[in-house]
Amino acid sequence: MENTLLLNWFIELALLAPLASFIVCFFIPDRYSWAVPILANLFLLISAISSFCIFLTMPAHETYLLQFDWFRMHDYTLQANLELNRLSVIMLPLVSGISFLIHLYSIGYMAGDSGIKRYFAMLGFFTFSMLGIVLSDNLLLIFIFWELVGFSSYLLIGHWKEKPEAAKAAQKAFLFNRIGDAGFLVGVMIIWSNTQTLNLNDILSVKEIASWQTIASLCIFCGVIGKSAQLPLFTWLPDAMEGPTPVSALIHAATMVAAGVFLLARIFSLFTPVALIIVAITGSLTAFLAALFALHQFDIKKILAYSTISQLGFMITAVGTGSESAAMFHLVTHACFKACLFLGAGSIIHALHQAQQQTHQSNDVQDIRTMGGLRKKLPITFLTFLLAAASLSGIPFFTGFLSKDSVIGGALTWGGQEFSWKLIILMMVVATSFITTLYSFRMVWYVFLAKENGETATVVESPWIMRLPMLILALFSIWLVVSWNPFMVTGWVSTFVGKLPHHNFTTILSTGVVSLGLAAGWLLYARQSAPKSALFLQRAFNLDSIYKKLFGQPTLHLATALKRIDRHWIDGVLHFVAFSNASFAHLVAWFDRHIIDGSVNTIAWTAGLVGTFTRSFQNGKIQLYIFWAVAGLIIFLFFLLI
Amino acid sequence: MMFPAEHLLYLSALLFSVGMMVMIVKQNTIMMLLGIELLLNAANLNLVAFNQLHPGLLTGQMFALFVIVVAVSEAAIGLAIVLRVYKYYQTSVPGEVNELKD
Repeated sequence: MENTLLLNWFIELALLAPLASFIVCFFIPDRYSWAVPILANLFLLISAISSFCIFLTMPAHETYLLQFDWFRMHDYTLQANLELNRLSVIMLPLVSGISFLIHLYSIGYMAGDSGIKRYFAMLGFFTFSMLGIVLSDNLLLIFIFWELVGFSSYLLIGHWKEKPEAAKAAQKAFLFNRIGDAGFLVGVMIIWSNTQTLNLNDILSVKEIASWQTIASLCIFCGVIGKSAQLPLFTWLPDAMEGPTPVSALIHAATMVAAGVFLLARIFSLFTPVALIIVAITGSLTAFLAALFALHQFDIKKILAYSTISQLGFMITAVGTGSESAAMFHLVTHACFKACLFLGAGSIIHALHQAQQQTHQSNDVQDIRTMGGLRKKLPITFLTFLLAAASLSGIPFFTGFLSKDSVIGGALTWGGQEFSWKLIILMMVVATSFITTLYSFRMVWYVFLAKENGETATVVESPWIMRLPMLILALFSIWLVVSWNPFMVTGWVSTFVGKLPHHNFTTILSTGVVSLGLAAGWLLYARQSAPKSALFLQRAFNLDSIYKKLFGQPTLHLATALKRIDRHWIDGVLHFVAFSNASFAHLVAWFDRHIIDGSVNTIAWTAGLVGTFTRSFQNGKIQLYIFWAVAGLIIFLFFLLI
Repeated sequence: MMFPAEHLLYLSALLFSVGMMVMIVKQNTIMMLLGIELLLNAANLNLVAFNQLHPGLLTGQMFALFVIVVAVSEAAIGLAIVLRVYKYYQTSVPGEVNELKD
């Protein structure tokens, strides 16, 4: 009994501490804004500690419900329960932990920013919404938190709102998410109309496969495409890099974009085989193409953004191939190393920016062509970045290797032994893993190892408050954290995410692919002094302009046509109606003035006339009075006598 | 010598009519007072004329005398009023003293 009470406390603390952080940071008076980073960090520390306590005390394979009723409609009660299950137990410390580390990092990165109150408030709000998604057991509640996550992401991308690119990117992210979320909402409605419940456990307990499940799950997958930046709605994510780098690390790498994958894993049993095939195809295509695009970027944050899309595609493929456990595993490892990579990129940008301010240069501080040789200047950043990049490219002895291995293993199991089209997906996954190694090598080489450009002479390492989170996250890239065996997952992970597929063949295959990638990278890049790029791939197949031509301009044309119709026909009808109305009113006014007023006036005029006439007898002339008196007398006598 | 009463009555009617006309037509207040005197005299004439029908009685003549006395006092008061009116309005034209109008 005491144990459950404690657990309740932990859940509420973990969820509500970030919300409290949001409220405090938002409403604190401006003169106390120096306290905002400290307060926000304290709140997030509370949340992270509670999450880890839950993680440590919660027995595996058990679910725990914290029930309360939200509202009643007629005889239906909507429950807003908080549920702890094996997925949320692992997501809780992941989200709040990384969020805390990024809060810590932001103290250094955002120091001196004018909007620091807004920034920390929104980070807190985002963390709250994300934890809400993780803990909810109700589709409607998940949808609400899902939207809140999108909203806070919008605000954080547009944090530097005076920059037009940032404002545009924020709008784009919001719009693209809306497109996907429309699908999500339709999916929720389909599920409601078929099962009369939104409770996830009730929905998932439906055993027989019905045809609506395919449509419903694909609709929800639409939302996932938007949120997790899959083909064809991925172009918002590279643009979202306009936001502050810690935000990119938290939202656009580690947590928010992973919400889609989490949702897929959560409602996995709803998916029918047909839906899963579509999921797998989308995921693998995204993974492959985004990796190709990443290979041709110059902007360090864009490389990481496309890499994120590619890795998300990996996870989606894993879900599609039926091993949602591998997807969750990859989500966890990816969150750690990608957050670390982004923080490293942020540290580089921060350091270069500081150096530029001293030497009054104004190069693009995010362009990898202006970097090079930063190995000696930024040793800690180099170390952490290297560890995380190794994990990303899937080199053995790192977590990324293990998780990627299980994804490929899942695809292999799904593809089966005989030759079929399913092998194409497997091949694409393997090819993606090859390209991943290649672009990781390219990035690390040109940033840290290549010859110095001479512009980085005054660069100094970032402060400790930024190095500490990077070091912690880099530690989580080492295989020991998830498994004792560097080649096969054994240990606590599989008790949380489920049984992970493993083939000895894939271990050998991916080791081979990675070493091939490294060799290719060495051959391709080590001799070039500057990176090259194909413009077509750098711009992601010009998808943005295609979207503009395909959807933007027809919409504009349609709008112009509609405007014309509006002006000519609708306005015309309106004007005609108004005109006839006015004419009729004039007619009525004439009738009113002449007939009705006329009759009244006539009566009044007659009365006046009679009055004037009678009044004329009363004119004050005594003689006339006498005259009339006599005349009256005469008339009287006349009638009396005759 | 006795005039027939009939003739006296005609004279009286004529006198009355003339007095009335004078009172209505004349543009002078004093002339109007004169008209009133004529009316009173017409009435006196009637009183005297009808007394013929009762010989031995002098009631008609007595009344006529009273009327003459009253007429004198009336004329005195009337003239005084006319004077006051003239002093106040600076006119004795009856048509211009029309404050009774309102």
